[in-house]
Amino acid sequence: MKEFADWLSHTSLSVLIQNHNSWMIPTIQSVNIVGIGIVIVSVFMVDLRILGLAGTDQTVKETTNRFGPWLTGALCVLLATGLLMVVGEPVRELITISFWVKMFLVAVGTLIASIFQIVLRKHDQHWQDELIHRVSIKGLAILTFLIWVAIIVLGRLIAYDHVWGSWSPATKA
Amino acid sequence: MDLSTFLATLESSNVAVSIRNSLYIFPLIESAHVCGLAMVFGTIAIIDMRLLGLASTRRPFRKLASDVLKWTWAAFVLTAITGALMFITNASVYYHNVFFRTKMLALVLAGINMLVFELTTGRSIHRWDKDAAAPTAGKTAAVVSLALWIGIIFLGRWIGFTTTRATTIPQEKAPEINFDDIFQQAPDNPPAQPGK
Repeated sequence: MKEFADWLSHTSLSVLIQNHNSWMIPTIQSVNIVGIGIVIVSVFMVDLRILGLAGTDQTVKETTNRFGPWLTGALCVLLATGLLMVVGEPVRELITISFWVKMFLVAVGTLIASIFQIVLRKHDQHWQDELIHRVSIKGLAILTFLIWVAIIVLGRLIAYDHVWGSWSPATKA
Repeated sequence: MDLSTFLATLESSNVAVSIRNSLYIFPLIESAHVCGLAMVFGTIAIIDMRLLGLASTRRPFRKLASDVLKWTWAAFVLTAITGALMFITNASVYYHNVFFRTKMLALVLAGINMLVFELTTGRSIHRWDKDAAAPTAGKTAAVVSLALWIGIIFLGRWIGFTTTRATTIPQEKAPEINFDDIFQQAPDNPPAQPGK
């Protein structure tokens, strides 16, 4: 991974970002934060609907139709800005445990959101009448939100990977 | 007490000293700050999109606002507290930082924008509550709000890039706590190197 990071840091896009890092890096990070704000709130509103804490004048399907596209769109923004950050600062990103755990959780979070939307589209009445009243589904809604909270925390901890002590490859490098 | 003495008092307070002396507290406070501001921005964006007629248009504005705004305020409290905690660790540096000052100004302007909205467009809410979009004044408030909050996010990130964090912990030094020891992992079985 160190070799890959070194190679990546010599690509022309990486050199371009590095040469303008004083404004490019904070700009990319800021856009990333704007995106994560849309993502976490989209997940949050659907979760609140499942928990019966918001939007109860609408069905779960209506709520998901409202926030699903924004979630997808904002995830694309996160992917684009995330890739730019990795290309711009490969060593800082890739040689940390925070980054890899974060990527794992992003995959889990995205998978849950995708499966939920597919299943809901097919069985929206079943969700509306029965599933959202189940404790396990309510628990899953809370867990999903917490996964995205953890993603934000880990994103910030990439800059402080030494907090993981011996688990962090950054402290060994 | 003049201002620089006040800032110095904040910096030497027990809370500020404990944060500076810890390897973990500042990163965790900053993480909570980002969680809070993501929620503040995201929930405000929902309201602004509704005012502009771009989303949630079939829900009455008042219903949406009562669902969303309590979370905005809860997240704002978290963000303000964590922001203040970060500020006192290095108060005199942040106070003189131009991006910090601009961010505080933008926060005040966002507050004024909200007040103006409440006192004008908000007063006639019964007339447009169910409309797909707010009247022009409401739309203007929404655009101003979105611009200010996105600006606040950018300014916040710029503070981090233009100040050095005050800490007594050497940044590159491994912490005293060794997670391998805590979980009693055998020394010949080190944790997998991620990505390799």
